Amino acid sequence: MDFGYTEEEEKFRERLAEFLDKNLTEEIARQNWEDLGVGPEAREFSLKLAANGFLGLSWPKEYGGQGLPPTYDFILLDELGKRWGAHVPLDIGYTMVGPTILRRGSEELKREFLPKIVDGEIEFCLGYTEPNAGSDLASMQMRAVEGDDCFIVNGQKTFNTECHYSEYHWLAVRTDPSPDIPKYKGISLFIVDMDSPGITVRPLWTMSGERTNEVYYDDVKVPKKRMIGEKNRGFYYMMEALGSERNQVFVPGRLMPILGDLVQYVKDTEYNGKPLSEDPLIRHRLAQAAIELEVAGLLADHSRWLESNELPMSYEPEITKVFTSELEQRLVDVGMQILGLYGQLTEDSKWAPLRGRISWYFLHSFMTTIGAGTSEVGRSVIAQRGLGLPRAY
Amino acid sequence: MDFNLTEEQKILQKTARDFLGAECPSAFVREMETDEKGYTSELWNKMAELGWMALVIPEEYEGVGGTLLDLTIMLEEMGGACLPGPFFPTAVSCLGIMEAGDEGQMKEFLPRIGAGELILTLALTEPLNTRYDPFLIATRAERKEDHYVINGTKLFVPDAHVADDFICVARTSGEPGSKEGITLFLVDSKSSGIQLTPMKTFAGDKQFEVVFDAVKVPEGNILGQLNQGGIHLEPILQKAAVCKCAEMVGGAQKVLDMATEYAKEREQFGRPIGSFQAVQHHCSNMLMDIEGGRFITYKAAWMLSRNIPCAKQVATAKAWVSEAYKRVAGLGHQVLGATGYMIEHDMTLYSRRAKLAEVAFGDANFHREAVAFELGL
Ligand SMILES: Cc1cc2nc3c(=O)[nH]c(=O)nc-3n(C[C@H](O)[C@H](O)[C@H](O)COP(=O)(O)OP(=O)(O)OC[C@H]3O[C@@H](n4cnc5c(N)ncnc54)[C@H](O)[C@@H]3O)c2cc1C
Repeated sequence: MDFGYTEEEEKFRERLAEFLDKNLTEEIARQNWEDLGVGPEAREFSLKLAANGFLGLSWPKEYGGQGLPPTYDFILLDELGKRWGAHVPLDIGYTMVGPTILRRGSEELKREFLPKIVDGEIEFCLGYTEPNAGSDLASMQMRAVEGDDCFIVNGQKTFNTECHYSEYHWLAVRTDPSPDIPKYKGISLFIVDMDSPGITVRPLWTMSGERTNEVYYDDVKVPKKRMIGEKNRGFYYMMEALGSERNQVFVPGRLMPILGDLVQYVKDTEYNGKPLSEDPLIRHRLAQAAIELEVAGLLADHSRWLESNELPMSYEPEITKVFTSELEQRLVDVGMQILGLYGQLTEDSKWAPLRGRISWYFLHSFMTTIGAGTSEVGRSVIAQRGLGLPRAY
Repeated sequence: MDFNLTEEQKILQKTARDFLGAECPSAFVREMETDEKGYTSELWNKMAELGWMALVIPEEYEGVGGTLLDLTIMLEEMGGACLPGPFFPTAVSCLGIMEAGDEGQMKEFLPRIGAGELILTLALTEPLNTRYDPFLIATRAERKEDHYVINGTKLFVPDAHVADDFICVARTSGEPGSKEGITLFLVDSKSSGIQLTPMKTFAGDKQFEVVFDAVKVPEGNILGQLNQGGIHLEPILQKAAVCKCAEMVGGAQKVLDMATEYAKEREQFGRPIGSFQAVQHHCSNMLMDIEGGRFITYKAAWMLSRNIPCAKQVATAKAWVSEAYKRVAGLGHQVLGATGYMIEHDMTLYSRRAKLAEVAFGDANFHREAVAFELGL
């Protein structure tokens, strides 16, 4: 066993850390995770990250990458996450779409899209969920009908988050509506230009002020060459991508800054003449949070290790997802408990502690166990894939 | 033993439910979140006409003569409707005057509170209170001839912008932390030297920093005994905590209602999500939390109404309900999925208010400590 990193990996981490300390700010970090729209600062940061060779390390050389093992990308995610919970600025393309294009896309699509993703130039939004297809994604109804040189797409998606600022929609739609086949066998994946005629994007605002969207398609033409892989195989591609997506999106290290902020706060804040840090209740809760973060880190590392070594993954990435998303809720709960009355104050309020971050995280925490698949469905996945238990439905 | 409400209480409950259903729909609640004043005089006056502000005021002061238990029944409905505005702080202040006021103060304040003519609020918390601690008071009131001069900063004062009077908790002797040496003052909000700054919260309620800068208060405005404010405060804050619990129980019930209804309607995988055991367990857990919370709230209110010593039950109620509502809000969101996380969904009204209520008048940790004390620890 070896829980460490190689010398080269550590060297890379140092170089990266130095770059991030100079170029990454809290403002840039939040432009990504608040989902309001990646602004010019984050776009510029994205380009700089690429220009300095920090994007695409694990991607093949022929598409602009450096052909190194996935570990390097995980180091990137960890180092970003340590700093205000930052992510790759254009992370949907980088962590979710790109790898599937790489695995299943045509050579033409690979040449068109992968270098731009590695250069930090373009972003995608995920078009999966529909009003009647949430956890039961396979029941999606949005329809693509095949024409001569293109598909004509009609219907509605909902909670498609980055659509108001990304260039492309990563769209899953029904291409075979036949009632005689299982629903998941009639779905295909497409890349759609967001400025195609017939697309309407309407905002939906969340309780923490993030923006997500409803997206309507009215006779939108999508060129056939923009289909990923084979027709009606889209759902398989989505499922096979899930593990590596989970590994890249659910980064426990992104929660470290919350713990760090809280540790600083209890040292700096007095109650009745003593720092809060001397209160055993607070000490234990923060210690417990640190324990859980360490365990989460290992669960994630295990799953990443499987992926990096091309070993089979089944339930492991799902454990990372369920554990990390629930840990975020517990950690934020500790924070709110420590801040007491002050936790309710918003960022722009006088007396708001810790830049209002904990209060924002509190509002945000309600979605962590829902978005990208709920904890309930996640636990069923773990039970079925990991333990071989039968499906109940 | 009888778990039933009396006929009168049932009528009170139904009237409140029907009235709030009609006059305080969620669209109104949402509108008030961004409204500067935070409530409408129209609604306030209608509530006054129904006698709600007079509910707990004794008949000799033109009140209805109801009990604290009656008030909690009404507050449960108000919590269910997320009623915005200064009813709660006025009710707590009214209980404060009933607890500590002299005959003259009762005569002066209670009939006008009952008529809906006065809005009051409690100015308690201070910057020193990085944790809830009602005796950690540094605001000073110093005697000068026939009046007092108050200096200090109060935080999280609800509805201070519309209050006619504050009950200001100030120190007349001793050091912060001591229960002795605290005095309660009725302070006219128009007195010179009072400065308000809004403290914006994520629930859109109206709370303020209130700075008292050499505010002159006549000696006759002392509420209760000089230096005995700590002793007066205890029952007032107990009642306030139980009132908060009632609001929370009402809110939690609404969350469960929404979640259950949705679990029956929303279909995934060709069946209602409520048929999945994971969802059923969430709903049952909510129900258990709420039933226990409602019973302990009503028991504490009943004991308070009968003057039975109940420090342990009060603390148990606030400790339990604070966390129960938090859990219920989390589970409610879980059942409602992404839909419930959108700001336009009523669920978000409740989960934001649950957090505010959880930390008001002492969070679960504070009240667990009180229970430990009652255990002789
Ligand atoms: C902030 C946010 C951003 C999002 N961004 C995107 C995006 O960019 N693109 C996109 O396509 N989607 C996005 N989503 C949607 C997300 O993927 C869905 O919310 C998620 O898949 C759950 O679906 P649902 O919300 O419809 O809940 P439902 O599926 O309706 O679930 C409701 C409840 O029922 C439970 N349930 C459902 N089925 C079962 C079962 N079989 N067993 C046990 N319990 C079950 C669920 O666990 C949940 O508790 C986003 C969601 C959020 C909150």
